[in-house]
Amino acid sequence: MRLALREMLRRPGQFMTAAVLLTLIAMLLMLLGGLLDGLILRSTGAIRAQRADLVVFSATAEQSFLRSRVTPETRAQVAAVPGVTSVGGIGVTQLGARIPGNGPRDLADVALFGYQQAPDGVPAPPADGEVWADSILQDNGVKQGQTLQLGPSRSKVKVVGFVDDVSYSGAGSLWANPATWRAVQNENRPASSVAPGVFQALVVRTSGSSSSVADAIDQATAESAGGATETVSLAAASDAIGGVKQQRSVFNQIIGVTLVIAAVVVALFFALLTVERVGLYGVLKAIGARSRTLFAGVVAQAAVVALTAAAVGTVFAVLLDVLLPPGAIPYQLLPSRVVISGVSLLIAAVIGSSFSLRRVLRVDPASAIGRAS
Amino acid sequence: MIARKEMLRAKVRFGLLVGAIALLVFLILFQQALRDGLITSFIGAIEHQDAPVLVYSTDARRNLQSSTITPELEAQVREVDGVGAIGRIGQGTYSVTADGEITGAAVIGYEKRSLGAPETLTAGRYPTADGEGIANESDASAGFDLGDVVTVQPGGYRIRIVGQSKDTNLQASPTIFAKYGTWEQAVQAANPDAQTPLPNALGVRPAPGVTPQQVVTRINAVDDSLEALTRGDAATKAPGVAQVGRSFLVIFFLYALVIPLVIGLFFLIVTLQKARSLTVLRAIGARSSTLVRGLLAQVLVVVGLGVVIGTLLFLPLSFMRIGSIPLSFDAPAVGAWAVGILVLGLLSSWFSARRVLRIEPAAALSGGGAT
Repeated sequence: MRLALREMLRRPGQFMTAAVLLTLIAMLLMLLGGLLDGLILRSTGAIRAQRADLVVFSATAEQSFLRSRVTPETRAQVAAVPGVTSVGGIGVTQLGARIPGNGPRDLADVALFGYQQAPDGVPAPPADGEVWADSILQDNGVKQGQTLQLGPSRSKVKVVGFVDDVSYSGAGSLWANPATWRAVQNENRPASSVAPGVFQALVVRTSGSSSSVADAIDQATAESAGGATETVSLAAASDAIGGVKQQRSVFNQIIGVTLVIAAVVVALFFALLTVERVGLYGVLKAIGARSRTLFAGVVAQAAVVALTAAAVGTVFAVLLDVLLPPGAIPYQLLPSRVVISGVSLLIAAVIGSSFSLRRVLRVDPASAIGRAS
Repeated sequence: MIARKEMLRAKVRFGLLVGAIALLVFLILFQQALRDGLITSFIGAIEHQDAPVLVYSTDARRNLQSSTITPELEAQVREVDGVGAIGRIGQGTYSVTADGEITGAAVIGYEKRSLGAPETLTAGRYPTADGEGIANESDASAGFDLGDVVTVQPGGYRIRIVGQSKDTNLQASPTIFAKYGTWEQAVQAANPDAQTPLPNALGVRPAPGVTPQQVVTRINAVDDSLEALTRGDAATKAPGVAQVGRSFLVIFFLYALVIPLVIGLFFLIVTLQKARSLTVLRAIGARSSTLVRGLLAQVLVVVGLGVVIGTLLFLPLSFMRIGSIPLSFDAPAVGAWAVGILVLGLLSSWFSARRVLRIEPAAALSGGGAT
């Protein structure tokens, strides 16, 4: 193995091409992973931030806030279920926001939430007509104290402060009290009007096993005149946001195939390298080197190339994260993503280099010495 | 001749490269189909409806469901010079029961058939009464086949599928086109608290002698609250479409770098390995051009085989769906990629060709020519 690593130091040029190829693949992996994380985090922040264990939707809504309605009667039934410690109503409306100082057609996408139970990092519901704004809206020019006009009815809301990591479905969120949310919803979306006391969903805190409480809630409301419910975990509610599952599935498939390509590239490169070294391996075997040692050398070289590529790929990913203008593309670099991409690349390289095993085992010391001489 | 024999003798070596190229081609074609399918499933309904111009409210940010056209805005559009005909379009996504399952479906209601309905049908007929609809043919197996009845929940309003169209989905959901009254009743069925819905958009046909672009310019000049778009722009400028396109472009660009590097690396190593033999060939009279032609022939055969195998691998996949996204075999796109990859392959052999041209026949006398 030491011999293999020394060879890399003495002839780095021989490994340059494989390193360049794997570096490009590492960059691609980091880019894809960063895009996936950026898209998912920007879609699910508002739900992840909820201080709750469960989200209750109406049964026919398929976990869509837009299509769900929970009546006060149903809410009372949910609150009475053993294990439920608190219940808060929540609703969301997606609108265009006119921002003072921006052009008449330069609107920002916003998701206006009405809430009773404050999520992590969001203060208690503000007064009527006021909102807490998602800090990513600052990229659109939103400032504290400004009055935004929402939707075609130009409903006015005043920004009283900013909160972090609460985006929803790719849009910056605004957090208002239920009355303000209901008024804005009904002014701008007459087809989706919400009656007094009605919310789109409930966020529920539980004591004990939240999955059994979820079942109990749905059982309790099954025959309800106010409407049956479907109760899911926060993670499931996040996944149900439009596009989240599809994005995750598509990107994971692309990442998977990219790793297969990395394995093929490594396999191809080290297969050729092994062919070149048949004579050398013959000599080494003749003087007592075991096939296992020679193969370990090949794997070690592949691992070093992969780790180097992963390191350069990480630098690229960090630079991209720093240099990208805010909001240009939904890219977010997470340490866990860097580690997963690096380890995946390493595994792909080790698997790829394993294809040289057969060739190393087949080297016959006697004939190889003859060829070498 | 020698090049062909070399390939036949080193089947594993060249086979590996053919396999790698086939995999890359497969991946590119798969991603191309995925991108096209993704975009079509998001905005196919807009692209394939027949109103040449769509008018949204600016607040909608080009999202049909988020748009609301107030009576005042509608009146302003009707006054615009060059507007020939106007039809209201309503749209919403509702929970429906189809094939015994609850699922989300987009319902698009059009006031006039020529301003909002699918351009063509692949089967059945256009709705003639409320309670009838047209669905995308790819959703037939999900309870949206001809004759199926879809029920809007929780109100229970029933829509019978009487026509089928192609590539007319919206927001990657099953999509039903119906008369405007059907949509209004679907709104009430989905939300008993709903007030009378306003149209989400207006479909506009320009008067004779006026182009869609001229009408767009004139409508947009009337009021900042209106955003008129040609049908093509309404599709390509819909939210998310540009982002999807940009993301895939970056991926394609990186693959365009990987392909020539893989091919170039392979042939460079092969050329270096046989440098001594090539030197001998030059010494006994073989011309450089002959050797380079052999190299290029090998590149063409390897890349050509890779492209063919990759395309054949992709072919059965192109008839499938990935989740709700239907894939398709786009022959012109496949052809363009095949030509592009062949060109990249030939370009990537430049380093090997240069190495061949630099071979000095006299070196054979001194045993040179090795790497």
